[in-house]
Amino acid sequence: MGNAMAESFKFFECYALIRMTGRKASDILEFMEILKQVSAESIFHHVHQYFLKPHISPPDFSNDFAVWAAENLGEQNLAEALANLNPFEFSNVEDIRAELIRIITEHLKSYPPPRPVLPGKEFFFNESITIVVPTGLEATQLHDFAMILKEIDYSSIYFHFYEARLRLGKERDDFSHFLDECLDCPTLAARIKSFDPYMYTTEDLRAKIIKLLEEAL
Amino acid sequence: MKLEDYKGISAPGDLRAIEKMAERLRGKKMLHVNSTAAGGGVAELLQRIVPLIRDMGIDVRWEVMQAEKPFFEVTKNFHNALQGKGKPLTREMWDTYEGVNRENYARIDTDADCVVIHDPQPALFIEKKKRGIWLWRCHIDISTPEKATWYLLKNTIEKFDAGIFSVSSFAQSLPIPQFLMQPSIDPLSEKNIELSEDEVNRVYERFGIPMDKPILLQVSRFDPFKDPLGVIDSYRLVKKYHDCRLVLAGGTATDDPEGERVLKEVQEKANNDPDIHILLIPPFSDREINALQRGATIVLQKSTREGFGLVVAEALWKKKPVIGGDVGGIPLQIIEGVTGFLIHSVEGAAYRIRQLLENPEKAKKMGENAKEHIRRNFLITRNIENYLSMWTALEHKDQKVIYL
Repeated sequence: MGNAMAESFKFFECYALIRMTGRKASDILEFMEILKQVSAESIFHHVHQYFLKPHISPPDFSNDFAVWAAENLGEQNLAEALANLNPFEFSNVEDIRAELIRIITEHLKSYPPPRPVLPGKEFFFNESITIVVPTGLEATQLHDFAMILKEIDYSSIYFHFYEARLRLGKERDDFSHFLDECLDCPTLAARIKSFDPYMYTTEDLRAKIIKLLEEAL
Repeated sequence: MKLEDYKGISAPGDLRAIEKMAERLRGKKMLHVNSTAAGGGVAELLQRIVPLIRDMGIDVRWEVMQAEKPFFEVTKNFHNALQGKGKPLTREMWDTYEGVNRENYARIDTDADCVVIHDPQPALFIEKKKRGIWLWRCHIDISTPEKATWYLLKNTIEKFDAGIFSVSSFAQSLPIPQFLMQPSIDPLSEKNIELSEDEVNRVYERFGIPMDKPILLQVSRFDPFKDPLGVIDSYRLVKKYHDCRLVLAGGTATDDPEGERVLKEVQEKANNDPDIHILLIPPFSDREINALQRGATIVLQKSTREGFGLVVAEALWKKKPVIGGDVGGIPLQIIEGVTGFLIHSVEGAAYRIRQLLENPEKAKKMGENAKEHIRRNFLITRNIENYLSMWTALEHKDQKVIYL
């Protein structure tokens, strides 16, 4: 978000337009072949779209690959291995792709390939185009920052937390960067940066950050 | 209708995004073309979306094709073939299709910055493209089309700037961008607005349906893909355990000549059962359909093929658990065991109906979840956001992150 980090924190919201690649996998071997070829955007999309969707009943796993392995292939152990992948441990999407392929290859060494899924239950590879919207909301103090964070759309939390780190290639999320560099709150920033965000829905993550900010206030 | 009317209903973030995108597009021209002014989900959606887009300062028009029965017979077959159950198109059928398209595009001014062509009926309008972004919006399930028909249409679709599909599984191997756009419902339309209990009761009374027993309802066109005959079979299985009524309410759109035949089959199968109510609803009966949905105990949508099945979202919005076929867009709306149940057979539908009739508390909880699920994901403002974002994205080709 670059320009948000001068003096004030400028809140952006975002909207993900989903672009379909037209490619689909009906079994694990086909899935791996396509995974090797699809765009980095497609892999990013499938490990993150969970966080940009409001959930009434969140699925068991937060990445689409793990959900498909569990619900459609019926391969629970593969699903668990895929779900355990933490995108924040990787500096770019190509490394995530390599890790996904490694997980599937390891799985196939121990288990026979499962049967193909039923028509309509294939894995459909999509990508997203992010449209970033300035909200006009800005914070220069911790109090304002916390207040806006309560009101802002969940897509803002997604954008500043998840998208900032992986897609925009920043070392940390925008929130902890601002708290550290602009408000001189390194402890608070470090606590936020230390969250394991893949274990939360975006709304849960918002609540957790707000709780920390309120404690600090 | 104005965008601000949705404050307090739609997510504020969605409204902000719409305003920002619309600011950039203000004064530009948009055109929607489809084949019917009333009846069916597409016309309903356009009736609502077009005034809202206009309210944002975009110069939008909606044009409807003029055509006679032979054209609609061809396009109905086209429609069925694309959904995998029709006959391949003949030369004569293609000539009718092409001829009517030509007559219509000679009549309609297609000059606009963004042109949206809905479904296959007016697809050949693309031949008239001079400028602007042209989008083909496909509302039907083309996941397993009859190959020859799709091949003919594909040559035309490839000339558009992008295709828009309701569900990921409808995407095809095409050289143009394909976007996902789930349809939506308008919470402020006559079809979805809050009604008093009195009004609901009066509508049931007018249709001659006593509200003395649990009511199972399916609202859909009399179309084989909606499986109304299967619904009657399910009802008969349930009837052994629960005394209930079945209401099959549907209209026939002007582009649906097959409807009359299916309606006759349904009437024969009902065999004058006094607890089966078959209603032929004329167009513009949105408030009546609203009341029927609100008065129902359980809503069914036992489709075997479906574009999106917006009628599911309508019922969910009214806090009704929905039992629906696991096809098209229905699984996106029914979260299994949370907002309803997905079924794959007559027996499956009967089993889930029995389960909910036996557990009214469970049905009530599902109904509450259902409304929230629709509020978060399937309201009309989301759809407007989709159109404006596609238009914006195609003006920023090859950018994956677009700052407004």
